[in-house]
Amino acid sequence: MDHNKLKETPLPHLYLISSGQENPDGGTLLLEQLNLLPRTLSCMVQIREKQLNAKQLLTLALKARACALPYGSMLLVNERIDIALAARLDGVHLPENGCYPDNLRPLAPKMIFGCSVHSPESLHLAEKSGADYLLFGPVFDTPSKRKYGAPQGLEKLGQICRISTLPVFALGGITPENGEFCMAEGAYGIAGLSIFKDTSRFVDTLEQFYRIVSP
Amino acid sequence: MIPSSPFLCVITDEALCPVTVAELVLKGGAVMIQLRHKSASGSQLFSWAVEIRKLCQKYRALFIINDRVDIAMASEADGVHLGQQDIPANVARKLLGKERIIGVSASSLKEALQAEKDGANYIGFGHIYPTVSKKKEFPPLGTEALQNAANSISLPIIAIGGVTLENAVTLISCGATGVAVISAVSRTDDPSWAASEFVAALKWNNS
Repeated sequence: MDHNKLKETPLPHLYLISSGQENPDGGTLLLEQLNLLPRTLSCMVQIREKQLNAKQLLTLALKARACALPYGSMLLVNERIDIALAARLDGVHLPENGCYPDNLRPLAPKMIFGCSVHSPESLHLAEKSGADYLLFGPVFDTPSKRKYGAPQGLEKLGQICRISTLPVFALGGITPENGEFCMAEGAYGIAGLSIFKDTSRFVDTLEQFYRIVSP
Repeated sequence: MIPSSPFLCVITDEALCPVTVAELVLKGGAVMIQLRHKSASGSQLFSWAVEIRKLCQKYRALFIINDRVDIAMASEADGVHLGQQDIPANVARKLLGKERIIGVSASSLKEALQAEKDGANYIGFGHIYPTVSKKKEFPPLGTEALQNAANSISLPIIAIGGVTLENAVTLISCGATGVAVISAVSRTDDPSWAASEFVAALKWNNS
């Protein structure tokens, strides 16, 4: 797939999103997860902690950056390029109601910019503004997104993947059992949040996913 | 860079369209606008910022964004205003460079001195009087604390919190370089006129 032309290294196929439950004073779960990442398993990691203020988020981002991540991994933060620059992260993930990559690219030409998309229209906007990858979901039912209505389903994931010129990560209720269906629809990789919260099964889950997403 | 004393800074009101408020108060003579909207999305803030920046350039006023250094960088605002819960001023300075303005909210002399050490360009000091615009966890600081801060730090101080036409002159005489208001101008029938009244009141004191 033709993607990520600006960057030397290809994007990892697995995508971990932080729990959204980091404690302002601790930041323990994310750091625990990062330290558990198997050495050979590169991963996209997005810090997404909307309950934290900017000062707390910066502290967490600096701690996460200090973790030794597997080769090829990329550490991103949700929305805030100021935090990404200050903590020397690899990129920024932009929500659908955030700035567009072309608003921010001049500030950090080498960073990765990803966009959440929920429709073909937002996909086109993200592509046009120079996104490096897309996050699409929720594909399946997931507790964290239930308030927004029914999941998008595999068929819509397939539509998005077919029209996208960018790597698409499937997100939302994805398990080692249903992950293969997402890849069959053309997803570049798999993203998860809730499923990674159980640190006792974290490495197992990651390795199962890794077998599914490995080309 | 910071306007000459005494001057009026208007902070946008969350309940109103910030672009509309900015244009009205700039017409009335405000020389500093702070875009502050905690619940707005990034794209909304960015598009407001682009509009307000244009207005501020037209009126030769300063345009500052609250908290969101990212939006300030992307929209090329003149600077940021940082609370104690935001990115520290010394970190923001590295991101923004020497030229941009960094203001820091301080509610004690200790915080003001720290902000000065961290490379801030001005201090937003308050709240001086009781205020309805923001919920506060501590009692008003009063004018004595303002005077004390003005005597102890060399940075310009913008007094904030419960500023009215009646007390604005007192704040300047206590050492504030300017005053900042939210509701006192935006929650009026004519924000332009309200802003011009403040400007007149501040100048009256100075002449």
